[in-house]
Amino acid sequence: MLVTYIEAIRQAMDEELARDRNVLLMGEDVGVLGGAFKASAGLQEKHGADRVVDMPISESLIVGAGVGLAVQGMRPILEMQFIDFISCGFDQIVNSAATLRYRHGGQTACPIVIRGPSGGGVHGGLYHSQNPEAWFCHVPGLKVVAPATAYDAKGLLKSAIRDDDPVIYFEHKFLYRRIKEEIPAEEYLVPIGKAALRKEGRDLTVITYGAPVHAVMKAARDMATEVDIEVIDLRTLLPIDWATVKGSVRKTGKVLIVHEARLTGGIGGEVAARIAQDCFEELDGPVMRLAARDVHTPFAPAMEAYVLPNQEKITEAIRKLAAY
Amino acid sequence: MLIDVVMPQLGESVVEGVVVKWLVEAGELVAKDQPLLEISTDKVDAEIPSPSAGRVTEILVKPGETVPIQAVLAKIETDPAASLPAPEAAPKWDEETEGFPGHMARTSGPPIPAPPRVEPSAPAPPPPPTTGRIRITPVVARMAAEHGLDLSKIPGTGIDGRVTRKDVEEYLASGGAPPAGPPKAAPALSPAAAPVPSKAAPSRAPIGSPPPAAEGDQVVPWTPIRKKIAEHMVRSKQTSPHVHIFAEVDMHRVAGVRAKSKKEGVNLTYLPFVIHAAAKALRETPIMNSTVSGESTVLKKDIHIAVAVDTDKGLLVPVLRNADRMSLKEISAAMDDFGARAKSGKISPDELSGGTFSITNPGIKGNLFGTPIINQPQVGILRLGQIVKRPVVIDVDGEDSIVIRPMMYLCCAYDHRVIDGVAGNGFLYRVREILEAGDFS
Repeated sequence: MLVTYIEAIRQAMDEELARDRNVLLMGEDVGVLGGAFKASAGLQEKHGADRVVDMPISESLIVGAGVGLAVQGMRPILEMQFIDFISCGFDQIVNSAATLRYRHGGQTACPIVIRGPSGGGVHGGLYHSQNPEAWFCHVPGLKVVAPATAYDAKGLLKSAIRDDDPVIYFEHKFLYRRIKEEIPAEEYLVPIGKAALRKEGRDLTVITYGAPVHAVMKAARDMATEVDIEVIDLRTLLPIDWATVKGSVRKTGKVLIVHEARLTGGIGGEVAARIAQDCFEELDGPVMRLAARDVHTPFAPAMEAYVLPNQEKITEAIRKLAAY
Repeated sequence: MLIDVVMPQLGESVVEGVVVKWLVEAGELVAKDQPLLEISTDKVDAEIPSPSAGRVTEILVKPGETVPIQAVLAKIETDPAASLPAPEAAPKWDEETEGFPGHMARTSGPPIPAPPRVEPSAPAPPPPPTTGRIRITPVVARMAAEHGLDLSKIPGTGIDGRVTRKDVEEYLASGGAPPAGPPKAAPALSPAAAPVPSKAAPSRAPIGSPPPAAEGDQVVPWTPIRKKIAEHMVRSKQTSPHVHIFAEVDMHRVAGVRAKSKKEGVNLTYLPFVIHAAAKALRETPIMNSTVSGESTVLKKDIHIAVAVDTDKGLLVPVLRNADRMSLKEISAAMDDFGARAKSGKISPDELSGGTFSITNPGIKGNLFGTPIINQPQVGILRLGQIVKRPVVIDVDGEDSIVIRPMMYLCCAYDHRVIDGVAGNGFLYRVREILEAGDFS
């Protein structure tokens, strides 16, 4: 069936709510309104107000209540209306949810999913454009995923809901209605921890995730006559599928990492360091990164374009690395 | 001056909207901010106000049509006499001003095709050899060392004449073979590895791509109980040299006792009989009822038999204490109790430890026979096979006769570090004797 990225998310929640009575959806405006972006449209009507629950504007409360419910055997999905505001629930996530299993010697789990719209390119300004995934990739006990396709959006969300550990699920609002994609009518899951090889190539590897996957794929097609690019979509950022990353680097010897989050302290730094350490003798050029500039995402379209990676910057970076 | 009425972006993820109805007609005079039309999007329904006072000269979109944001909906001729300046048209979207992923930001564009998921093809062949100087990359240095190449002889096509991996590969492919003899000393910049004869295969194994991650596969992380079982199984196999021996047991007398009990209203399975027989045989063969502690064998005074029970939460092995002192009916009742409590998760940890010998009964689907793994630190385990009616030859009044009997293969595994063949075989033979004799008083 042909669905948008946001419809794939809605379907995943709908199916899991129907499959397991322990699954709940909680967040600001997720119920009566069906979500600020309509990700949960119709779900309260279908599954009831006790399972699709409107919450006060307090992310700390939403996550904290979710952790408590999870300890009691429920599997709450906790929506952040914009992922930018996940920082209000930061303590509950990193000190409570992420440490539960550790604190109890493995005898308890915290099966929550925290999901919400991330990303820029929509002129949303600094409070509606953030990509805070790197904060959470520093925290053991969490899993972090960021789908780029409708197929992955659905399959990863279902896997996240069924996972016994807290999963932070970054959905990219730029893709919500810009992607329309055929996905299977029958049920499927996408495993957490597995990258997707989007395109094979011999000359260099581009490692990316989220919305830039599409721009990188366009570059790979447009530049096909000059350089043969391999594209890896990480999909899961914690834990990263190192086997796929290293296998590709050993083949091509050149790597460009592209993400929309800021450069300094971003996921790209960790990926680059691992490659430098484990694949040093296979490298035929410096490991390069393309990411947002180290500033807050501006509102004005021209400034936003200057700050975020875009098609032109990706093409330029690939050309530079290919020539090295 | 003629100005455009454009479709606004009503929310960050909204890329298009449907014109529901027009509230004005072409030719009509309108005031600034007067509602011109109603639109509907995925997120909100809204009225679009007029950007300026003036006359609607043209309506470009019919009700029911879906239009992308920034599309022109109508045109308005403003009154030049009015002091209101024409509002600036909304910024035009083009490659230069649009946001992030280039063309993707063009909200009216066709849907973005889903990137394919491709599987890695066969691993690339191991890269060939070379040696150089000037500026080289790690991979080129390695290839040079492996193949004994002089990199100064290879034309470089990289930045500043750098010799790239591709250059080396092409050099080798075009017959720029390494020298026949052993290479000269390793090139200055190559790793200080000993020279490798050029004909030798590269010292590295071919580099493989990782196994494909099939879509739709489900990853099931081990539960704590599964982890424990896995660790235990591996440890047992590494610790004990297992010997597996088999006895073919005629169960017809056991079947007779069962039938008799049934008439008395007591349902007995085959398992309590085997437990009973094993307990008796263990009392006679103390070495089988022992545990290993370091480099000592501890002959256990009490006979505590651990019996595997399958539950929703995985395999549990409750322990039947002092099984040799229990009657058949007591054993049966205790097993029923364990089974019920295991399923409801009400067995205490104390009841799962302290076994001195194990019995596993895979049930009616247990197949002909199996070779069980010893439950450490015990030294022996029995496994029941399927009970099948077979024609067997027996002695009837000095004559060989063929009769139909319920037969069972009983497997015993013992730890050959501690138990010699005589003791192990003697034990299993004795279990068989007890079962075939049919005396369970």
